[in-house]
Amino acid sequence: MKKWQVAIVMLLAALGSWFTVGTQAQAKTYTIATDTTFAPFEFQAKGGKYKGIDIDILNAISKKENINYKLKAISFGAAVQQLSANQVDGVIAGMNITPERKKTFDFSNAYYTSGVVMAVAKDSKIKQFSQLKGKTVALKTGTAGATYAKSIQNKYGFKIKYFNDSNNMYNDVKVGNSAACFEDYPVMSYGIKNGIALKIVSKQYEAGDYGFAVKKGKNAKLLKKFNAGLKAIKADGQYKKIVDKYLHSSESSLTGETASSRTFIGLFTQNLGTIGSGLWMTLELTVISIILATVMGLALGVLGVMPGKVGPAISSTIIYIFRGMPLMVLAFFIYIGFPDLIGHGFKIPAFIAGMITLMLNEGAYTGAFVKGGFQAVDDGQMEAARSLGLPYWTAMRKVIMPQGIRIMIPSFINQFIITLKDTSILSVIGIVELTQTGTLIIARNFEGFKIWLMIAIIYLVIITLLTWLSNWVQRRIN
Amino acid sequence: MAKVIVKDLHKSYGDNEVLKGLNLEVQDNEVVCMIGPSGSGKSTFLRCLNDLEIPTQGQVVISGYDLSDKGTNINLVRENIGMVFQHFNLFPHLSVLQNITLAPVQLNKESKVEAEKTARDLLATVGLSDKADAMPKSLSGGQKQRVAIARALAMHPSIMLFDEPTSALDPEMVGDVLDVMKKLAAKGMTMIVVTHEMGFAKEVADRVVFMADGLIQESGKPDDLFDHPKSPRLQDFLEKVINV
Repeated sequence: MKKWQVAIVMLLAALGSWFTVGTQAQAKTYTIATDTTFAPFEFQAKGGKYKGIDIDILNAISKKENINYKLKAISFGAAVQQLSANQVDGVIAGMNITPERKKTFDFSNAYYTSGVVMAVAKDSKIKQFSQLKGKTVALKTGTAGATYAKSIQNKYGFKIKYFNDSNNMYNDVKVGNSAACFEDYPVMSYGIKNGIALKIVSKQYEAGDYGFAVKKGKNAKLLKKFNAGLKAIKADGQYKKIVDKYLHSSESSLTGETASSRTFIGLFTQNLGTIGSGLWMTLELTVISIILATVMGLALGVLGVMPGKVGPAISSTIIYIFRGMPLMVLAFFIYIGFPDLIGHGFKIPAFIAGMITLMLNEGAYTGAFVKGGFQAVDDGQMEAARSLGLPYWTAMRKVIMPQGIRIMIPSFINQFIITLKDTSILSVIGIVELTQTGTLIIARNFEGFKIWLMIAIIYLVIITLLTWLSNWVQRRIN
Repeated sequence: MAKVIVKDLHKSYGDNEVLKGLNLEVQDNEVVCMIGPSGSGKSTFLRCLNDLEIPTQGQVVISGYDLSDKGTNINLVRENIGMVFQHFNLFPHLSVLQNITLAPVQLNKESKVEAEKTARDLLATVGLSDKADAMPKSLSGGQKQRVAIARALAMHPSIMLFDEPTSALDPEMVGDVLDVMKKLAAKGMTMIVVTHEMGFAKEVADRVVFMADGLIQESGKPDDLFDHPKSPRLQDFLEKVINV
């Protein structure tokens, strides 16, 4: 009794402090979103810090113009969506200035000009677009490469497959699932220089300008400062220095990694900090979500077996909605859709959104089995309790719940494990948890196999520990 | 005033009318046994007396409290009516002692210490002093039913309802449970017992009520009823029961 009360108070206090921190941070600081894997414009260097042309330019301009900002690395698609939903103030992510985008966003002056190229596997015989007929082409959603490839798709008769980040796209071409990919020249050339086994086989098409974007009609002051700063760093030579630094060097000198550190152990020790913080985020999300989902699930379960029709109807509806909705859709809805609906610049921190998402989804599943557990308790138990004069809720609490919960324990353990794994889906709204950490590390070192193996082992280890803990609790209760 | 008054009691499940208009009065200290073939509505009738079943029509008045009255606090009425079920319905997650003390302690009738003392006294009465700390699953059927009786008595009810208390027991266990019930009757408890134990009804009941087809067909003192049954239904029933 006492312990869970303390736990809830602590939880509420923690939630409260997040909200305050959140609002304080929003007071003066701009939130600028960037892509997670778009080297050399943005990528995570050793130790988890973001680097790249975009990042350095933004940094240099901010210094010149005294802009306070917080960088938020999420996928490109999510960054664009969040900008249009007012979740972030600006986006700098190698974003092409297109007439289409100009309808929704205001752009700064172009800070870089780039073209689209086609890349194929090193041993591929494909040299021309005409050889793509009937084959699959890998594209990254929302990029100039994707737009260009789409525009020539009918003419050359290829199929299209979309990816959310560059590395998966490159890998798909490398392993031969896709015949080619289309990518911005500097990005592709940087990747190849850093060990991606692809080659560029076309000239640059559709030369386009990269611009810094804000939502149309908003943050004009920020845009003005950006333009002024851009002019200043071009004038004093800083701009050229930044671009040269990334386009004329190899990745290892930038990220601080050496060839000898590419063994499994080497990679692990090197990325310990990044993986550790990702793991911590995963655990934090898991624990908080499990607590919230359990509370919600118990409430739904109790409501579901209440006498009368209203309680069960409410319970079934909530379970129906949140169990039926894919977790990812729910996450996007809460993080991007919901603030959009409310308007007035309402923002919801990604962590809070992620927590609510998990609470609703896992809570609905929990509610379903809690209800089933209560129903599995013999009707005679409730009758015996009531016939003694115990009120409904006392009978529920003292007689039905203790028996029902015992029935539910295996389901609870199962749900905890599912919750832990489901945290990985929250990477789509930019939460850097364990899975996203893996994506980020691979984005700079392209060691897909070793890093995913590492991440998989870590998940298995935590799940094993969680199972042991649950079994111990189960033995204690029985 | 009679302790239990039932007037024109009807109960239907959908189109199926189980009770078709019963009238009964039970006086203080009276022991009434209800007999009749399976499906005659005896248990449903009993369950209407403490609102486990809600009558479709009619009136039930317990110690002056009308159950159909919205202002009646059913929980308070139930405290005064103990009920013993065919399948015991002990709380399997609680020890024997906890089963008995749960309601008095939760309802602030007695402190935990007082309730435990009461519980031990009751366990002594039902002959299970050594089982206070046992879990229900370790008990035999007869022992479970005696604990269930002690649990009901712990609320100090003035009426006890028994719903076929020995039907789920092995034959050798029946005697122990009936002995406890006899003692209770001797102490002057008002009891309504749905039973198939004709011997018990004959020996203990002040009045026997014969039910069939959702109606009271006949009632009277045990000797009259068993030795001189009037209705052909009762004659038929007794013939079958006694020949078994």
